[in-house]
Amino acid sequence: MKSKKNNRIIGNIIIYALLILLALMMLVPFLWMISASLKFNKDVFVIPFEWIPKAPRWQNYIDIWTKIPLAKFTLNTAKLTLIVTLLQLFTSSFAAYAFAKLEFKGRDLLFLAYVATIAVPWQVYMVPQFMFMRSLGLADTHLAIIILQAFSAFGVFLMRQFYEGIPDSLCEAARIDGMSEYEIYAKIMLPLSKPALSTLIIFTFVNTWNDFLGPLIYLTTESKKTLQIGLKMFISQYSAEYGLIMAASVLSLIPVFIVFISLQKYFVAGITTGAVKG
Amino acid sequence: MKKRILSSLLAMTLVVASITGCGAAAEQAPAAETQTETQAQPEAAPAETTEAAAETTEATSDEPVTLKWALWDVSSTVYYQPLIDAYTAAHPNVTIEMVDLGSTDYSTVLGTQLSGAGSDFDVVTIKDVPGYVSLVNKGVLEPLNDRIAADGVDLSLYNGVTDQVTIDGNLYELPFRSDIWVLFYNKDIFDKAGVDYPTNDMTWEEYDKLARSVTDTTPGAEVYGSHYHTWRSTIQLDGILDGKHTIVDGEYDFTKPYYEMVLNQQKDGVCMDYATLKTQGLHYSAAFAQGNVATMNMGSWFIATLIQKIKDGEYTDCTNWGIVKYPHADGVEAGSTLSTITALAVPTSAPNKDAAWDFVKFVSGAEGAEVMASTGNIPAMTNKTIVDIIASMDGFPTDEASKEALMTSHTYLEMPANDKSSEIETVLNEQHDLIMNEEVSVDDGIAAMNEGVQAVLAQ
Amino acid sequence: MAAELTAMEQNMKRRQRKRNLVAYSFIAPNFIGFAVFTLGPIILALLMSFAEWDGSNAMKFVGLSNFTQIFADERFTSALKNTIIYSIFTVPITLVMALALAILLNQKIKGKSFFRTVAFFPYVASLVAVAAVWNMLFTPAKGGIVNQLLMNVFHAQPLKWAASSSTVMLTIIMFSVWKNMGYYMVIYLAGLQGISEDLYEAASLDGANAWQKFVNITVPQLKPTTFFVTIMLTINCFKVYDIVYMLAGGSNGVVNKSAIVLVYYIYEEAFRNWKLGRASASALVLFAIVLVVTLIQFRGEKNYAND
Repeated sequence: MKSKKNNRIIGNIIIYALLILLALMMLVPFLWMISASLKFNKDVFVIPFEWIPKAPRWQNYIDIWTKIPLAKFTLNTAKLTLIVTLLQLFTSSFAAYAFAKLEFKGRDLLFLAYVATIAVPWQVYMVPQFMFMRSLGLADTHLAIIILQAFSAFGVFLMRQFYEGIPDSLCEAARIDGMSEYEIYAKIMLPLSKPALSTLIIFTFVNTWNDFLGPLIYLTTESKKTLQIGLKMFISQYSAEYGLIMAASVLSLIPVFIVFISLQKYFVAGITTGAVKG
Repeated sequence: MKKRILSSLLAMTLVVASITGCGAAAEQAPAAETQTETQAQPEAAPAETTEAAAETTEATSDEPVTLKWALWDVSSTVYYQPLIDAYTAAHPNVTIEMVDLGSTDYSTVLGTQLSGAGSDFDVVTIKDVPGYVSLVNKGVLEPLNDRIAADGVDLSLYNGVTDQVTIDGNLYELPFRSDIWVLFYNKDIFDKAGVDYPTNDMTWEEYDKLARSVTDTTPGAEVYGSHYHTWRSTIQLDGILDGKHTIVDGEYDFTKPYYEMVLNQQKDGVCMDYATLKTQGLHYSAAFAQGNVATMNMGSWFIATLIQKIKDGEYTDCTNWGIVKYPHADGVEAGSTLSTITALAVPTSAPNKDAAWDFVKFVSGAEGAEVMASTGNIPAMTNKTIVDIIASMDGFPTDEASKEALMTSHTYLEMPANDKSSEIETVLNEQHDLIMNEEVSVDDGIAAMNEGVQAVLAQ
Repeated sequence: MAAELTAMEQNMKRRQRKRNLVAYSFIAPNFIGFAVFTLGPIILALLMSFAEWDGSNAMKFVGLSNFTQIFADERFTSALKNTIIYSIFTVPITLVMALALAILLNQKIKGKSFFRTVAFFPYVASLVAVAAVWNMLFTPAKGGIVNQLLMNVFHAQPLKWAASSSTVMLTIIMFSVWKNMGYYMVIYLAGLQGISEDLYEAASLDGANAWQKFVNITVPQLKPTTFFVTIMLTINCFKVYDIVYMLAGGSNGVVNKSAIVLVYYIYEEAFRNWKLGRASASALVLFAIVLVVTLIQFRGEKNYAND
């Protein structure tokens, strides 16, 4: 009995040691960002790296707001991210239900088409896509970015895989009870897939928030540009202000973390005994 | 099962393909139309343009026009607004709208924007020669020969640079900014070592000796006699300054002495190690700003950065700097150097071509040149007066040699216009990297360059 | 009798049709946007691999010549080889690490949400920062931390890591695992929540140890998640680009044959040389490989579902 307890303690120590080591490895880039954000550009890439700057330049955190319209860019990004995430969440989880739980003609084929398109690099169809969007008058609009991001195949694939893990018996039982498919989706599947929905929110949020090439190609008017384009504005032809870039990057990570941490609580067992017996 | 999926997938692809195929054809049609239209224009136009050009400038002068100008780095470039102000002061009916496409992916974005026929840019800035060549190949830039002839633009004022970007007898851009390569040096390091400053007339051997004489390899207190940024230009192109070779003719044996000189310097700790520089991602400006780099070959664009950063108080260890002319090969006159140009062009899809051309002519011409110089940048059309304006700028080194360094005898473009310039670039960059990493010998690297570029040229 | 049968048949058909309609109504909101704005341009782009196009001049049908050209191009064949090597190593290693991390962070431990956030960090952090830290550890200089370790602890020669042709892919693979495992961990974490506690309790009653529970419950229950992770990982590995550019970009950012990957090649052909046909042909090769991998996976999943 005692040895078992000892074993557990030793096991715990090993686990925590491992975790702390991992955490350190993962945290170092963040510390680097903070440290670099408090430096002059000329000192950022100098080795040996000065982890704690002797004369921290807090001015960087002020300059980023005045050198470029960062507030406007952040607002644009926030707007785009919010709309895209909502659209993505709704359309993906909706479509995924059909792929996972309904039998219909052409299901496997359509699904395969969805998945396969993820494999095509954007660089290849960027030009025809841009020309098509422009012919619709969508060049230099936020709508173009929303359309590009909101109907991705990724979300459908992700949600479909999670629905697959939910026993079919649940749906069958509900059908026998006379529920329509829409009701099953809304009342059974959605509540059960909180971890998956959270995952999708996190990924879509991060992707849209950090998207660079899409907005760069489509948005040419200054007042419509996004945060990531703004960050690149500190890299000019002849010099790059990495101190400022890191200051803005550190700030731009805050919303990402807020989303991630606040969705953490949904990463708990979704299927309870009761539900399975349904 | 698998078979069925595959065959039905194939069927579907074909169906969708035929649909989008039709759509694409329809989409293609207007593009093709404008294509033929613009192609037809020069045939019909020459006779008219000569008269029309003169007329239109007058005819359109009171109608309000808005020109859309594609460029990069609006917030950090000092001359855009002054150029616009100077132009609109003389042409009050013209409004110029700047569209910033960002500097890092400028060529990609511009190329995409000009794809098809829906772009509404009137004037586009051309960032580099490979980007220029690809736009010309795409047929999206207006040939300027007729307009140049009609308006009597004197190309000889560009010191021969326009010849190097003429493609099949046609010129599609007019340069307005030109940067030359010079040798920057940190006077404090030379003072401390008690060594004479570099001069405007040094051979490569003299330069090598000078760099070595100020080098200190003491760990922790290194002083580097020279610094070469990771670009191939910093070493490879030293060889073309004797005027006997170009970088696009498929024969690179002339680069050998320069590679050997730099590799030896690297071995002896005279300059920083290429592999480390490459992975560390150290920008040349940061390297020079550390105050332990005695000399560095770099383009004249660095002058403005240095002046600004010293004024801002960021650079504290290189405040006492100077420039001299590029070193030269034995038996060649001093003053030959490399240059890069920034130019303006008019897209074939431009809504206001005549007004756009008038603006291009102004910016690249004498009036534009003075505005450029007054902001501390070297215009493409340069002469003694322009050099005086730049050298009198606050923060520019006050010694005579630095001012003299801006006068050039011959300038060679880093990359002359060639159909294959971007493919050639790839081969040269790759071998440069291998040689500098000491993964291949200089001879093998050069042999690979010869073979690779000749293969590209033969295509 | 016969009439009755046809009535029944009709009834069934009608029901089937209604079922199809319901299913299509679920798919429609996403599919319409997807088909018009993504699938269409993609199919057009893939068809472009049989044409010569620079984005402006008229498209010219050239048959298979783009394919013969790229397969004769050493940069393409190197890119293909490097991408396959990269994927073969990165996919399994990342998968195992992500699963291990997810299981570890699914235990009842203190500071769980802190550790989860931290593990996700390299994925969201600025690539410049992650690469800078990496290069401090794996610098080609003898004084670098990892090289010191190699020399003093393992008595081995120092390596040049990303700066050398022989070790650059190894460096990129390690970097990629480190940067991306947190991302796939999140997916696995979500997948783990779908496994009913009952199963584990029942197994405990049967006297199963932790390993047996892992093999007999966790792994099979996670199969849909693993399917997703494997395919996404494979696709993302085949589409790797910015990491390679960041770690191995040499003179003027050009990536050498020793490290070039497919998407970098595609980028070069499309936007440096404006040979969109050749870029599309390369993409079609990439697409074909991923499709084969996906189909194999798909069959595996179907077999599992039929079990």
